[in-house]
Amino acid sequence: MDTILRRRGAYVCRSCTKTLRRQLSRNYSSAASQPDIYDVVCVGGGPAGLSLLTALRANPVTSHLRIALVEAQDLSKIRSWKLPPDRFSNRCSSLTPSSVQYLDQIGAWGHLERSRVQAFQEIQVWDGVTGARIEFDWAPGSAPAAGTTVAYMNENLNLTSGLLKRIEELGGVAVFDKAKVERIAYREETGDLDLREWPVVHLAGGKQLAARLLVGADGANSPVRSFAGIEARGWDYDRHGVVATLEMEGEGWGSGNEVKIAYQRFLPTGPVAMLPLPGNYSTLVWSTTPSNASLLKSLSAKDFIAMVNAAFRLTPTDLAYMHTQSSGQAAEYTWRLQHTPFNHRAVPQTALAVQDGTVASFPLKMRHADTYTTDRIALVGDAAHTIHPLAGQGLNQGQGDVQSLAKTIEYAVRHGQDIGVAMSLEPYVAERYAANHVLLGVCDKLHKLYSVGSGPLVPLRSVGLSAVNALGPLKTFFMNQAAGNGVKVF
Amino acid sequence: MRPPLRQVSIALRAAQTSQCHQQPPTRHFTTTPPTLHNPSTSSSVNETEISHFSALASSWWDPHGPSRPLHLMNPLRHDFIRSCLDSTPSPTSADETGLRYLDVGCGGGIFAESAARLPTTHSVTAIDPSPTILAVARAHAKRDPALSSMPKLQYLPTPIESLPLPASPSHRFDIVTLFEVIEHVDYPAAFLERVGQFVKPGGWLVLSTMARTPMSWFTTIFVAENVLGMVPRGTHDWSKYVNEGEMREFFAGGGVETGSSSSTEGGFGVWGAPRVMGVVFVPGLGWKEVKGSEKVGNYFLGVQKVG
Ligand SMILES: Cc1cc2nc3c(=O)[nH]c(=O)nc-3n(C[C@H](O)[C@H](O)[C@H](O)COP(=O)(O)OP(=O)(O)OC[C@H]3O[C@@H](n4cnc5c(N)ncnc54)[C@H](O)[C@@H]3O)c2cc1C
Repeated sequence: MDTILRRRGAYVCRSCTKTLRRQLSRNYSSAASQPDIYDVVCVGGGPAGLSLLTALRANPVTSHLRIALVEAQDLSKIRSWKLPPDRFSNRCSSLTPSSVQYLDQIGAWGHLERSRVQAFQEIQVWDGVTGARIEFDWAPGSAPAAGTTVAYMNENLNLTSGLLKRIEELGGVAVFDKAKVERIAYREETGDLDLREWPVVHLAGGKQLAARLLVGADGANSPVRSFAGIEARGWDYDRHGVVATLEMEGEGWGSGNEVKIAYQRFLPTGPVAMLPLPGNYSTLVWSTTPSNASLLKSLSAKDFIAMVNAAFRLTPTDLAYMHTQSSGQAAEYTWRLQHTPFNHRAVPQTALAVQDGTVASFPLKMRHADTYTTDRIALVGDAAHTIHPLAGQGLNQGQGDVQSLAKTIEYAVRHGQDIGVAMSLEPYVAERYAANHVLLGVCDKLHKLYSVGSGPLVPLRSVGLSAVNALGPLKTFFMNQAAGNGVKVF
Repeated sequence: MRPPLRQVSIALRAAQTSQCHQQPPTRHFTTTPPTLHNPSTSSSVNETEISHFSALASSWWDPHGPSRPLHLMNPLRHDFIRSCLDSTPSPTSADETGLRYLDVGCGGGIFAESAARLPTTHSVTAIDPSPTILAVARAHAKRDPALSSMPKLQYLPTPIESLPLPASPSHRFDIVTLFEVIEHVDYPAAFLERVGQFVKPGGWLVLSTMARTPMSWFTTIFVAENVLGMVPRGTHDWSKYVNEGEMREFFAGGGVETGSSSSTEGGFGVWGAPRVMGVVFVPGLGWKEVKGSEKVGNYFLGVQKVG
């Protein structure tokens, strides 16, 4: 019932936009050419959009569909992306085994630079205030075999580049890159055809693409979602994710490249994570306040490294103090470390250097679109939902969406349905909405639970067993990942 | 209590009037129209039925309107047809040229449009006696360039009785469909006979309808029309439902006038053993196949013309 009402709401909104845009288009369309007609027009060539198009092209049932991709960036640069083996991009994501399996199924995984992908088999998670750690106490018989991969760390560009190579191999996608979407509008009836309900994407330069199904894979600020009049609700965390590529003292506490460990410590300002890359490299994701983030970005390499090492070792109080210094953190860290007892092997190895130009930050927010579809429009990936990165799930959720939408489209094609009408898209929403919502909620609550330095939650967290219980949902989550159950939270 | 098979066959062949059979299970199916001598002027479909469906025309394509159960059922129709086609080793010449469909009682075109979109389809001829509904069907097809740019889909405002029978059997249809139609027809036996003539040898007659049982009365009339309001009141007349067993017997018996018609060009023909699939509407989930439910509610039935 709720969804129906919401959807109605979206319709009302959409028709307002519709009338408004129609008026606009009237002035414009006098000189306008006829639009090219496509079955699928995908706006956004990020991980979600490219995976969807790959899936549709790779499947013989859907490969006859006329497909267009619109992307603002220069895709030829991404396609030919290359870095030396000792340099890593700062935008990395963990890929769950189910995401990897799907990428393999659609023939994309083999096109990634595999030597740049790092599997990890263990996760260490602990509470920065109480020190409580998650113990992975597997029920008898349920433990995965030692060495089972929990997830794979991979540069986003390695993924998008691999996907582009696969799309090129498959052929058949009309690519409009370096192309700004100028507007999206509906048309008036034109003689023989009645395409009034087909969205038309207008590109700078006058190109028009009419879509049986318009896919918004255009990220968190999705212009397609705005056009559809679908509201995305949520809040900003008032946190930024600081990322960097780090050179470590060694290959990690596991056995070289064979067993790699990911680390995450919950600090009152947000979680800080150190995720393994091949060799001596790691990638950092540190969620913290915007002012802390700008301080971290302003530091010298030496002081930045000291802060990173401190984040996994010193007390929250020490750390807070070091954030008040505008420089000199390296000396401060050396001194304070001597007075802080900790187990070397329970934290990441020491970071020695940060790669030039890799320190950057992204504002973190939580958003969930009211629905993922209306007539002739579907949203996937960050356009549909934006999640806190603490469980490394954003991109993986997008893969789940893509898998479900591609399956929904295949079913519609097999049964002669119009793939654009809301009815054909219903299974996609039914399959993904609740699943994504639960995950968004869990990550949101975890962030809130651990973003408290004092107050009623902390004593609860620090009382022995309770502390472990408080980490329960997170533990369940990671254990499910490790057991290969995919994104299953409860 | 069901009459023995032979008795039913005789009843069908002899075209006995309704009074001859007291048991409800066979009553309507044995009734033949009084004026089938001139097929071009008589229609199988009752005028009240036509106006009832014409009134629904505007909401035909509303996915949340009264036709929602039909929209939801549509994919199963294709699955069932595919299972019929897959059940025989060597299909017709349709492999190369594509399948020729005749959709009888096409309504707003839910099935006809979807069949026309399939790459395995050569053509779809869709007929319905209501011009109001066909106007909806035609207008809707204009919304899809894949349908309007290819002359695969043809709508004709005619009852089956007025549709000219292609002279050569090879120009008849690979698949003739009758979806949710039989239960709206006054004289199902004569109607099926006429429809059956349009099936090419080796082709299939595929239909869906509901059995006439207390259960089907409860689900389709009491619950669907009166309680849930899922289907408009007056959509169904329970006494017109035909049971799956009656269908089987009808095809096994070779229609109403086996002896005479099989010798002519337009004959009813010889039919293989029917394939049947019972389906149940589960609110919130849609239609699901439930083995054995053909005896009590909605079912699909497909028969291949073997000669
Ligand atoms: C700090 C941080 C760490 C993260 N870590 C992880 C992790 O470990 N694991 C994980 O799974 N996820 C992680 N994520 C989330 C992940 O990065 C995103 O979920 C993912 O990139 C979303 O992919 P997408 O394809 O949906 O959208 P995007 O990657 O945002 O792609 C959208 C594309 O659309 C294009 N576009 C937008 N507007 C237009 C327009 N008008 N016209 C044309 N093109 C347009 C953009 O150029 C872009 O290429 C992290 C996120 C952050 C911020």
